[in-house]
Amino acid sequence: MHALLDGIRRVGRAPTLVLGVYVITLLTTAPLGIILHEAIATDLSGSVAAETAAAGVNWEWWEEFQSRATGVARTFSPRILGFAAVLHNQSSFVDNQFPRGEVMLSLVAYLGFWMFLVGGIIDRLARQRRVASAGFFATCGTFFFRFCRLGVLAGAAYWIMFGTIHPWLFEDLYGLATENLAVERTAFLIRLALYATFALLLLPINMVFDYAKIRAVVEDRRSMVGAVLAAIRFVRRRSQATLGLYALNAGLFLAVLAAYALLAPSPASGGSSMWVGFAVGQAYVAARLSTKLVFYASQTAYFQSQLAHADYVATPAAVWPDSPATEAVGTIS
Amino acid sequence: MAIRRPAASHIAPILVILAALGLGGWLVIHAPAADRLSVALVAAQPSTKPTGSASGPPSPRNANYSIDVRLDAGRRTLTGREVLTWRNISSSTTTELQFHLYYNAWKNTRSTWMRERLLARGPELNDQPKDAWGWIEVTAIRLLGAGDAPAIDLTEQAQYISPDDGNPDDQTVLAVPLPQPVVPGDTVNLEIEWTSRIPQPFSRTGAIDEYFFIAQWFPKIGVLEDTGWNCHQFHEATEFYADYGVYDARITVPSGWTVGATGVERDIRDNGDGTATHQYYQEDVHDFAWTTSPDLLNLREAFTHPEFPDVAIRLLLQPEHATQSARYFDATRSALKYYGEWFGVYPYDHITIVDPAWQSRSGGMEYPTLFTGGTRWLAPDDVSTPEGVTVHEAGHQFWYGVVGNNEFEHAWLDEGLNTFATARVLAESFEPRFRSVRFFGGFVPWVLRDVPWSRTVDGNRVTGYRRDARQDQQSTPTFRYWPGTDASITYAKTALWLHTLERHLGWSTLKRGMAAFYDQWRFAHPKPNDFFRMISAASEQDLSWFFDQVHGDASTFDYGIDQLTSRPLSRRGFFGSAGAGFSDGFDDQTFETTVVVRRYGDGTFPVDVLTEFEDGSTRREQWDGVGQWKEFRYEHDAKGTRAVVDPDRVLLLDTNVTNNGQTLTPMAGRAAIKWTLTWMVWLQDVLLTYGFFL
Repeated sequence: MHALLDGIRRVGRAPTLVLGVYVITLLTTAPLGIILHEAIATDLSGSVAAETAAAGVNWEWWEEFQSRATGVARTFSPRILGFAAVLHNQSSFVDNQFPRGEVMLSLVAYLGFWMFLVGGIIDRLARQRRVASAGFFATCGTFFFRFCRLGVLAGAAYWIMFGTIHPWLFEDLYGLATENLAVERTAFLIRLALYATFALLLLPINMVFDYAKIRAVVEDRRSMVGAVLAAIRFVRRRSQATLGLYALNAGLFLAVLAAYALLAPSPASGGSSMWVGFAVGQAYVAARLSTKLVFYASQTAYFQSQLAHADYVATPAAVWPDSPATEAVGTIS
Repeated sequence: MAIRRPAASHIAPILVILAALGLGGWLVIHAPAADRLSVALVAAQPSTKPTGSASGPPSPRNANYSIDVRLDAGRRTLTGREVLTWRNISSSTTTELQFHLYYNAWKNTRSTWMRERLLARGPELNDQPKDAWGWIEVTAIRLLGAGDAPAIDLTEQAQYISPDDGNPDDQTVLAVPLPQPVVPGDTVNLEIEWTSRIPQPFSRTGAIDEYFFIAQWFPKIGVLEDTGWNCHQFHEATEFYADYGVYDARITVPSGWTVGATGVERDIRDNGDGTATHQYYQEDVHDFAWTTSPDLLNLREAFTHPEFPDVAIRLLLQPEHATQSARYFDATRSALKYYGEWFGVYPYDHITIVDPAWQSRSGGMEYPTLFTGGTRWLAPDDVSTPEGVTVHEAGHQFWYGVVGNNEFEHAWLDEGLNTFATARVLAESFEPRFRSVRFFGGFVPWVLRDVPWSRTVDGNRVTGYRRDARQDQQSTPTFRYWPGTDASITYAKTALWLHTLERHLGWSTLKRGMAAFYDQWRFAHPKPNDFFRMISAASEQDLSWFFDQVHGDASTFDYGIDQLTSRPLSRRGFFGSAGAGFSDGFDDQTFETTVVVRRYGDGTFPVDVLTEFEDGSTRREQWDGVGQWKEFRYEHDAKGTRAVVDPDRVLLLDTNVTNNGQTLTPMAGRAAIKWTLTWMVWLQDVLLTYGFFL
């Protein structure tokens, strides 16, 4: 709990981080948003259907649009409304259904941005002080290629989980358990148990790779295999605490979801209410991003409290290169 | 067990027939030459309704079954014996009998049903384990003689035939040659013994765990028509067709198991060997289905109406759905009420609802006086499950049960009429309802309260129609439809053109026609032209132009506003004689508004065109919709602001409603921004969710 609160404080004192990842999230979605906007505008064109579509839900037009839609516009379905959007994505994730087409490309780009940024984010959260943007991005660059290597290891682990374990659980085992089942409630309970089982296998892996990143940054590790092994040791020796912290963070995540379930806006009419609805949605996005940063921050805080005194960051003090003008002056004899 | 006779005398339907023939003759004389042929054909079609006596049972009762069957729940087998009393009510003599053996559709992957399912949905069925397959084997057929005359064994002569596709591996039709021909009016009695294995459900019938739903389970005689046997192979896209009769069935199941079946339970006998025999009896039906399970809850309520006899409603409910019993009862009552008020009284005094077990694939299906509903463990109150399927299947008691169309060839004549009527009942009784989606393996529902259930879109299933509209003409025999598209053409297209007719003719006219059809063809086998004749007669119009398109063709309909302009009236040029009266300006007090309506589809339908002006005035025009385009031009002191073709949405078959109206000032930008912003929150959530990996 102390680590969680410390993590929340660290994120609170780094609003630029929150703003930065929010902007990245927004900019990553903007290109596809433009494509969808054009598709809707073209389809509606001068149609009178646009009036009711702007004022609320014009289901007759929407259903027609879906039948004509191609590319990313095919994802524009009623499942995107309000909290259904969140349920849809969570459900797809746990049911091993990954995005396709343009959305997948957007996701890959987004993960690439995060892979670049996460080194600087962890460094900033570990230092607990402001860093200049040049320093931040230098750290990002420093760790990007290391995290690419770490990503190979993580990718292999997740591939096994989603490519082998998940199908075995939810197709083979679930199919076997429910083949002759005539009661839906029982089948649902079996599925819930399988979700829990999968989570118990997946979440420790996720946690290990979180600590691998943290140890890589805080201890300036160059070997990602070493970072993973060190993370495993760390988690194994403090399993209760690390799992407990992970659970607390998960609880925070669920609280954000629950709040959005209550506050998620209906498709508003145009004008200011449309922007209010969008603002609520963006507040939710910012809250989700904050919980992600709190994950890193709290785990970093816990690690630092365990293997070093507070504020300890093992990397040598950064020495930023002089500007070319300074260097030139320095060489003048 | 009481069957109520129709309140109207038989004179009324005869008068209707005479009126229709008279009207047809008048139409032949007065219709344009090009239309006379189709109208004449319609008018000249001989009625296929067998003439009945003024008194006596309501149906011909020419296929009567006395069945004894024993269920071995452990082995999932049935052992049965039936005595069939069959009377030739056609005008043709036959030297053989043909029987449906539906269970053989699931004997192996070579059956016609399986081949068509594989074509429609891919090879998933190839992986079924041994226990999943089913079959039926006739072990003995004997022609019973009169009195003490010995029975003639016909077993060896029986052979499988494939009258539809010549598939030598299909064993769903058995032909039994007779030693003597059966002339019209003659009766034969046969004793048939069989065994069968109940499949794990492929479709409609089968067993899962200790839930058994047994349908199409006995050797069932086909229909001998004037032109010969109508006994199709079992196809993936079609349902069934049989003659009316009396069913007296004794069903032996494990003791303590609940049984529900067509008809009324007359007796239960404990056999002392761990089994009990339940006797069910029903007159004037053309099929018999039953269910058994030790788990079913057995609930009873009643339907009452100030003008109709009471109907006892029995609900066999899965325990996990115990909280949903009221929804089943209310939906059934609504169906009996509205179908009765609109079309005609339900002729039996009982009805049984079976709530199917999960994964049984027996839900959403109709049998005489019994039907299966379907719901989910989590079923929010404000979605249309289970009400939608319950109203639909209860409605089938009217369309299919009482009016017994040939579902192999004209499935639309029950499914389409019923889909139309179901949507109407839901709109009358159960609005507002909302769309919902299901997550986490399909178990967890979420109600989309911003998207109300729509009769025109959801009730009429317009999505399927739009996708498959051109796949087949509706007049193609249903069993020959392209696999996978039958629902669109049978259910959706019919519902859409009936709903269009409702708006075009008015509900009272359409209702009158449908009620006349119900009354005329109760306990008989109508054909499409019989229906068209009734509707045309009720409307006092020649509707062949409409039915030829929607039924006889795969035409699609699409009208749209091609152009809308409104400019100051141009007055440039010479307006006098011999070079006088030149004007080089515009009359900016007057606007010239031009509306061009275009027919983009190949179907034609008369449409209205509504133009609105800035000062609030409107102009409404009628267009016969036949040409490719039509221009309307107005000079008015206000600018035209919008134009809409078919403003009242009469033509629900229109496949593109978005182009039906235009505004002079496009409004798309605001809508596009709103929905893009809404969608972007979803996309951001996608990135956050899968960002779990980093």
